[in-house]
Amino acid sequence: MDTTATVEALVGLGILLTALYLQSESFVDPLVSGIAVQSLLLAALLGWLAWVYDNWEFGAVAVLVVGVRVLLVPYILRRQIRAFRWRAREIHASQRVTGHALAAVALAIVGWFVFQQTLAPSLPAVPGVALPFVLLLEGLLMLATRRNTLVQVIGYLEEENAIVYAAALFALGFPLFIEVVVFLDVLGVVLVAIILSIQRDVTGLPEAEILEELSG
Amino acid sequence: MNLSDPLLWLLIVLLAPVTGALLAVVAGARASELIARITALLTLAAAAALLGLRAQGSWGAYIGLDALSDLFLFLVAAIYAASTWYSRGYLRSIDRPFLTPQRYYALLGAFAFAMLLTLSVTDLGLMWIGLEGTTVASALLIVLERRPTSVEAAWRYTLIASAGLTIALFALLLLYEATGSLNGFALAAHPMVLSLPLAMAVTLALVGYGTKIGLFPMHTWLPDAHSEAPSPVSAMFSGVLLPTALYAFLRVYAVVASPVPAALSDLVIVFGVATALVAAFLMQRQRSYKRLLAYSSMEVMGLAVVGVGLGGIALYGALILVVAHAFAKSAAFYCAGNVLRRTGTTRIEDVRGLRTDLPWTGATWVLSAIAVTGTPPFGTFVGELLIVAGAIVVGAWWVAIACVVAILLSFLGMNAQIGRMVFGADPGRGSDTAGPPESPRAVVIPLINVSVALLLGIIAIPYLAPTIHSAASLLGGGVP
Repeated sequence: MDTTATVEALVGLGILLTALYLQSESFVDPLVSGIAVQSLLLAALLGWLAWVYDNWEFGAVAVLVVGVRVLLVPYILRRQIRAFRWRAREIHASQRVTGHALAAVALAIVGWFVFQQTLAPSLPAVPGVALPFVLLLEGLLMLATRRNTLVQVIGYLEEENAIVYAAALFALGFPLFIEVVVFLDVLGVVLVAIILSIQRDVTGLPEAEILEELSG
Repeated sequence: MNLSDPLLWLLIVLLAPVTGALLAVVAGARASELIARITALLTLAAAAALLGLRAQGSWGAYIGLDALSDLFLFLVAAIYAASTWYSRGYLRSIDRPFLTPQRYYALLGAFAFAMLLTLSVTDLGLMWIGLEGTTVASALLIVLERRPTSVEAAWRYTLIASAGLTIALFALLLLYEATGSLNGFALAAHPMVLSLPLAMAVTLALVGYGTKIGLFPMHTWLPDAHSEAPSPVSAMFSGVLLPTALYAFLRVYAVVASPVPAALSDLVIVFGVATALVAAFLMQRQRSYKRLLAYSSMEVMGLAVVGVGLGGIALYGALILVVAHAFAKSAAFYCAGNVLRRTGTTRIEDVRGLRTDLPWTGATWVLSAIAVTGTPPFGTFVGELLIVAGAIVVGAWWVAIACVVAILLSFLGMNAQIGRMVFGADPGRGSDTAGPPESPRAVVIPLINVSVALLLGIIAIPYLAPTIHSAASLLGGGVP
């Protein structure tokens, strides 16, 4: 195994472990740290590939990932946690987190198996080629099963990481790569902006009342 | 200056809303409104010129037009102009709006620009960026009326639509890996035999873009966003945002060589049928008239997706349906806006006697309701008829029956509820709770739009037929 393959394998392992950790954690602050670590691992891989392939686009995306997903968004989310202590923990987490973790492991195994059996043979033979797909599924699981808005933002960031990871592993030369990543990040910031507007405008209204209005 | 040069008109289509948005930010409240109105009309005029010229061709690596994009560009420009002109009175009726008029018109222009960009590029990646841009630009528009429910709706919309578009982007990565290109026009010109990676890419695109189209079961953002957004924005959501997302999917779908293998086309049809049926059933139990309209849009998009899956004349019908529905549904949402301004409620059971209270709005609402539910002689009827006929032609009887059931349920659900609100006995609303009385200006725009939907059914389809046929042909459909 050459050095690049070793780096890809190690980063892949780290990303998989962070993805499973995120599913098993109920407190928001460690979740923010978890997604920052996952993004940092991804940035490290991009930086390595930029150096090996002399590809400035990967380098630029690595810088973007560090700037937005490792530093900016986690900083804003932590400020939110400090401002609203009730957001610090997932609602009813004690009953649900174990279920999430088991579902996450099952999903990872199924996703890996399906991808390896169907698409992997027609993709470049790189270590962990199925992992971006697994990461995408894990992000979707988090979005679908968690109710805390901050945790949902983390699920979205995980999906973003899956896209960048996929582009780095098996879609080298994907056109408009930087533009796409910038748009993903802009949307991440818009999500956070909406949270801020919730804080400013509708604090105090019980969530159940809102959901009742939007039923049907 | 060569007025027959499509690039000139295309530049106007793209630059007018952007310029309007930028100027609106720095202008005063009244000036921003005027600027938005003028630039929206300019956009419409340029889009109409493109449609008239039947513009096609590519300019550079990323910009390009064909019959399909001409048709959708005109649609977006028309509903954008109508919503801009309708917005004035609606904005004035909002107490403590979340956005100033300047920011509202700027975001409306940015929203329109994002859709127009999606429709005028050849690169599927840039198309994805345009569609993602619609989410960014429109999310805050939903919060305009500052209700807690609207903030929740904006949150769901942004999150679910973004998650869906991330899946669509994953599909584009697979597509690029399978084909080595993201130029949608070039790929469609030389469609490929379905391989496993391509099948996976198209399936993920169906799920991803399907989220934004409002396909079941990824539709959950749609009724919330459509019902909580201000009416002019709801009109753009229903009338043109959903078709723009459908357009993006069509461009990916066109990469597969025709005839599309049954496994893939059946999957598209199943998604469409499920969406139409679920929406039609849900329409029966709605308590809010705006949610009723939202589910109706979902039902229509389901039928359109069925048309795409069936191909042939059904695809031709799907395009007619989308065009006619855009005008009819926007009219319905403008009328809903008038009713909301007057009554202050969106609950169906609290609204009665519109026939006497808001006579013009009531009449236009009834017309638009029967138009969106595919009643003859509206254009929607022609579209739905062709979709059902297309199913029968290929022997897909279960699809034809399911579509007819959805159409009938939707017709009953929509018209019974709207009929009750318009013709039901007036509850005797106190003058202290009543909003402003009906103004002619608030009725003119919906009346124009519903008239266009009517004209499409009676007169205009023969004139549009060559364009729609060319558009359908690009995707392997059309009239034999």
